[in-house]
Amino acid sequence: MELRAGDSWGIFTFLCAALCNLPALPALNCSEELGAGQSIQQTYDLTRYLEHQLRTLAGTYLNYLGPPFNEPDFNPPRLARAERVPSATVDLDLWRGLTDNARLAANYRAYSRLLCYLRVLDGQVGTAELRHRLAHFCASLQGLVLSIGGVMSSLGYPLPAGPAGPPAPPGAPAAPNDFLKKMDDFWLLKELQTWLWRSAKDFNRLKKKVPPAVVTLRLEARGF
Amino acid sequence: MKESRLCSEWDRAKMLPKSNELQKKIIMVSTIGGASEDSEAQRVNVTYSDLTPQVCFKIKERRVEIPIPESSIRVTIKSSGTAFATQEFAIHQKDISFVPVTPHILSLIPDFATSTLNLKWSDNGSVFPYGLHALWQIQILRKEAMEVVTQVTYYSKLTHEDVILSWNWTSDMPLECTSHYVKIRCYINATQYVGPKDWSDWSPAEVIPGKDTEPGGSGVFPLDPVVAVGSDLTFCCVHEEDQRITNMTYGSKSYTMMKLSSRSHAIRVLNASVSNSSGTNVVCRLENGLEGSVVFVGYAPDIPQNLSCETSNFLIIKCTWKPGRPSGLYGERRTKYSLFERTSGKNVSCEVSEVNKDHVCGFPVLPDQKTYDFVLGVSNPIGQAQSSLLVDITQRVHPKTPEKLTVTGNNSTSIQLRWFINGSFAEVRLLCQIEINSSHSERKLHNVSTPGRKSSTYTAQLNALHPDTKYQFRVRCSAADHFWRWSDWSRGVEQTTSEAPPARGPDIWRERSPSGESLIVFWKPLSLSETNGKIVSHEVSCHLLETLLEHKVVFEPSNRTEIKLGKSDCVISVVARNQAGSSPPSRITSVELPSDNVTTDQAVAMGNGINISWDSYPNMTCGYVVKWCHSSGSEPCIVDWQKFPSNTTNAVIKSALFKPGVRYNFSLYGCKSMGYQLLKNVTGYMKELPPKTAPNFIVEETSSDSILVKWEDIPVDECRGFLKGYLLSFAKGEKDALKPRLSESGNPELKVNNITDLTKKSMKILDLQGKTSYQLELQAYTAGGLSPPNSLYVVTKEDSVGLIIAILIPVAVVVLLGVLASIFCYRKREWIKETFYPEIPNPENSKALQFQRNICEGNKTLKTLEMNPCTPNSVEVVETQSTAPKMEDTEMMSPAAETTVPEDGCDSEMENHVVVSYCPPIIEEEISNPPMDEPGGSSQVVYIDIQSMYQPQIKPEEEPAIDLATTAGYKPQMQLSISALKIEGHSPVEEELDKTAGYRPQTNTNAWNMGTPDSPGSVESNNENASFGVHVQLIHDSFYFPQKMMKTLLNLLIQGGPSHTFFRTKQMINSGSSLHMNLPSE
Repeated sequence: MELRAGDSWGIFTFLCAALCNLPALPALNCSEELGAGQSIQQTYDLTRYLEHQLRTLAGTYLNYLGPPFNEPDFNPPRLARAERVPSATVDLDLWRGLTDNARLAANYRAYSRLLCYLRVLDGQVGTAELRHRLAHFCASLQGLVLSIGGVMSSLGYPLPAGPAGPPAPPGAPAAPNDFLKKMDDFWLLKELQTWLWRSAKDFNRLKKKVPPAVVTLRLEARGF
Repeated sequence: MKESRLCSEWDRAKMLPKSNELQKKIIMVSTIGGASEDSEAQRVNVTYSDLTPQVCFKIKERRVEIPIPESSIRVTIKSSGTAFATQEFAIHQKDISFVPVTPHILSLIPDFATSTLNLKWSDNGSVFPYGLHALWQIQILRKEAMEVVTQVTYYSKLTHEDVILSWNWTSDMPLECTSHYVKIRCYINATQYVGPKDWSDWSPAEVIPGKDTEPGGSGVFPLDPVVAVGSDLTFCCVHEEDQRITNMTYGSKSYTMMKLSSRSHAIRVLNASVSNSSGTNVVCRLENGLEGSVVFVGYAPDIPQNLSCETSNFLIIKCTWKPGRPSGLYGERRTKYSLFERTSGKNVSCEVSEVNKDHVCGFPVLPDQKTYDFVLGVSNPIGQAQSSLLVDITQRVHPKTPEKLTVTGNNSTSIQLRWFINGSFAEVRLLCQIEINSSHSERKLHNVSTPGRKSSTYTAQLNALHPDTKYQFRVRCSAADHFWRWSDWSRGVEQTTSEAPPARGPDIWRERSPSGESLIVFWKPLSLSETNGKIVSHEVSCHLLETLLEHKVVFEPSNRTEIKLGKSDCVISVVARNQAGSSPPSRITSVELPSDNVTTDQAVAMGNGINISWDSYPNMTCGYVVKWCHSSGSEPCIVDWQKFPSNTTNAVIKSALFKPGVRYNFSLYGCKSMGYQLLKNVTGYMKELPPKTAPNFIVEETSSDSILVKWEDIPVDECRGFLKGYLLSFAKGEKDALKPRLSESGNPELKVNNITDLTKKSMKILDLQGKTSYQLELQAYTAGGLSPPNSLYVVTKEDSVGLIIAILIPVAVVVLLGVLASIFCYRKREWIKETFYPEIPNPENSKALQFQRNICEGNKTLKTLEMNPCTPNSVEVVETQSTAPKMEDTEMMSPAAETTVPEDGCDSEMENHVVVSYCPPIIEEEISNPPMDEPGGSSQVVYIDIQSMYQPQIKPEEEPAIDLATTAGYKPQMQLSISALKIEGHSPVEEELDKTAGYRPQTNTNAWNMGTPDSPGSVESNNENASFGVHVQLIHDSFYFPQKMMKTLLNLLIQGGPSHTFFRTKQMINSGSSLHMNLPSE
């Protein structure tokens, strides 16, 4: 990132403007804020990619589960035992009322657990092709968990305690029969979809709070 | 004793008399006993027979057990209550029914997974003698209403021991769906019992309660079953009492439900098909909930096909098989394989991938065991199968691919190979196959048998290889003693053997140079298999007896050398040399023996070679040589030769260099001890072709009826075959570039001469036409066909006699005709003269006109004609012929003519004989106009129509209006309208007008006389030729034609001026008629 002499005046102006605005950004008040904007952007992109990936994967997987799971209007009541999958059905206002830290931590916890269930799911699938796709998705989701962790640490938040690091096998007992297992799978995918949708919104909001321009400018300044 | 036996045997059995009888008694007892029966004991006296003492039972119940009598007993029942009564009767044995004790269900165990009930009960066999047949009737009931589902009869044999009997029943409906009940009763076929036998009472119903009886029990049942394809399935949905069921689906299809109970509904699925990989869902939709189950429908495993086991290294035995039809079950329910070895009892479970078509399972080689008895077990939840194989592992050796193949030793004919095979083959011999490939020999296989070793290197020596040859080797191995399979070929290795001296001397020939001073020595290159290396040079030496005359070293690639020998002879020896050494020498003598009678034959190849045969020459001791050149052309020929043993008399010379259409010259030499002798020459073709070029030919000489043609031979090179002859064709034809060849034109006049005499070089073509163009074509031909034609065009010379005759005859004819015409004319001259040139009399000589002259003369002096009053002069034509005048008279005298004249304003006094009248006003009009109209002085023809005088219609003023600019005045009457138009176009051509409008023969005068003057149209149409006119040409160059002059002119005209008068009346003159003209006087 070499800068020519002619650019220095413009960059200096930008730098000044950015520095004036810096105190207004609470997220940038910590020492590790340098890569935050970029990692938020990356996390957002990854979330959108996972959303897209899950859309096709869910279609295939629900077809694999067979009717009625692949019927578009299938909406079974959520059984009590399915609650072991972290639900994203929190009231939106309530959710918005949370702090960034709380939201990120909730995201982090949720994906860590969802990932555990997804891995169990992967081991049970009968067809090799679907197994392969699920494994691919698991890897991506693992990336998302790490990415959220990265965002949190870059914003200076502590990682939530609990199922962090290597995901432990789910503590809840396995479903007693195949049908309930399929219901769990259905809910898992549904919750994943909801979580990803909400996470995308979260990261988008966060992204606006931490504009990447500042970060870029910072990086340029470092090269300067 | 007897009593005790009976008691001991039957004490447990119920010995009832015929039920109704005994019952009646008992009831009777009770009725007799009344209300106080409980307190009062009854006394039953039983007497078996008269001999035995009475047995008395004092009972309170209404039943008593008494031993079965041998035949009958007497029973007296006394009631000892208040109301005393005595009943006495006899019971016969045959009246007593045999009813077994009601069986007792020991256990009823449900298996919900398989919907099977297991029923256990004791047969109480110990109380019966051995061997009795027992029948058990079992009843299954279902639902709360206890509907009988099925009733089966179970058969058993009593063994005088208490045996627990067991019976299984599989329900078509899952046991969870609703409550199931089981009852049992029995019938014992006691054969020696004389009385009637009967079924026992039903045991109390044992119940397996359904989930619908459990509080909170709900779900779809059976739960996650695995069934075979084609099964009929029943699913039920158990729900809470307060819930209502919406529908039940199997897969995506909804089924009609059967109500089992208030909390349970069922559907029935017939002939289930294979479910998808996650199983088929059975879903029960409730008003506010959902229950479900997953059913897995698949196939039982097939018997594994083509089970085969082999080892590649004596460490692991690999068994492969084909699994057959996929089971349709996955995950935990997939088909599982296990390999069991019977001899050792070892079992190995096989991890089999779904993807591979061929399934593989490994089994470790056991020490000191050669024979293995494998059983491949296959199982899945639906069924199982197995396949077995007995193998001697030493006979199923499939070694791994040999590795590290290298060449170790190498000389010109042998090579040593080394390779390595992984595996311990200590127990078997190995057979290895070495493939030897070289560029100039066929693929060879060399087998090597070697004792097997443990993961070792093996070697093999290959001999009899060819020197200086590049070889490719590769190896594969198998077991030697019991061949099973070859390993794959190893990677190839390449090696070239070293060189060796050439195997033999070259094939040589020699020829004297044309001068005879030197000797050219030729040799043929050795074949690749003989060179044993790259030939570097040839050494040529020439020995006369023992003395070396010359020694030459000729380097490759030359295959000839010249030795200056002069006239002397020597023995030539040639040696080929390569890096490794020299070949043995080849020798040939230079001596050429004289020969006579050398003939030259012709030969054409039959098949692929040229056949040359010769007589046997007994003195040719060392064979024959056929020598030829590879080109017949002029350049130094490539000598080739072939040697034949002395017993041959013919040879087929073959060469890839022989080309069709090329002449080859072969020389046959005989070999004697002294030298070589030329025996014969042969010219030959591989194949004869048509000559390449057309023969050149010229026309030597032409005459009027013949052409002499001469031609030249075609050069041998272009002949391309043995010349057979020429075709000379000719036909009439002009030189024309577009004309096709004669032979192709299909000209019917085409003539062809075939000249087969090759010595003939010219030909005369006869019988031609003179001065005619001929096309000639000459073609040569061989057995291969015709050459292209050469064309010439020749015109034969003129035939002079004919020409002379052709000129003379017309001339003679013309002369003769002329003479004849002259004679004719002379003879008929009178007639001709009369016809063509009649004599016209001179009017001057006519006396009738004498007065006119006088008048004319008088005019000069006197006053000329007086016009007023108009007294027309008349010319009277007097015809000598009798008919004509009469007609004229009548015509001229017609009153119409008289009446018309005055109208004209011309006050002339018409006389009877007046024919031609002169009317001054007409002339006035005509002459007064031209000066104004035509000052340019153009010519004007004036017709003075004499007859128009009588025509009142044609007024002088009107004439110009008829567009007769050039005409005026007198006109022949009949041409008034037509000739006027004609004149317009031909105004200058007066003479033509003369002919038509001028003088006409008067043969038809009668005709025009007949026409009435007032109908000129009729005159015109009838008498075209009857014209009567005066033609005056006026060349006016501002010429003024005064009225008086006109009158004078007219006088002159009438007097018969030689140039302007066309007024001819031939008929009249001929007939000697006179012309009277009355000229008006002014």
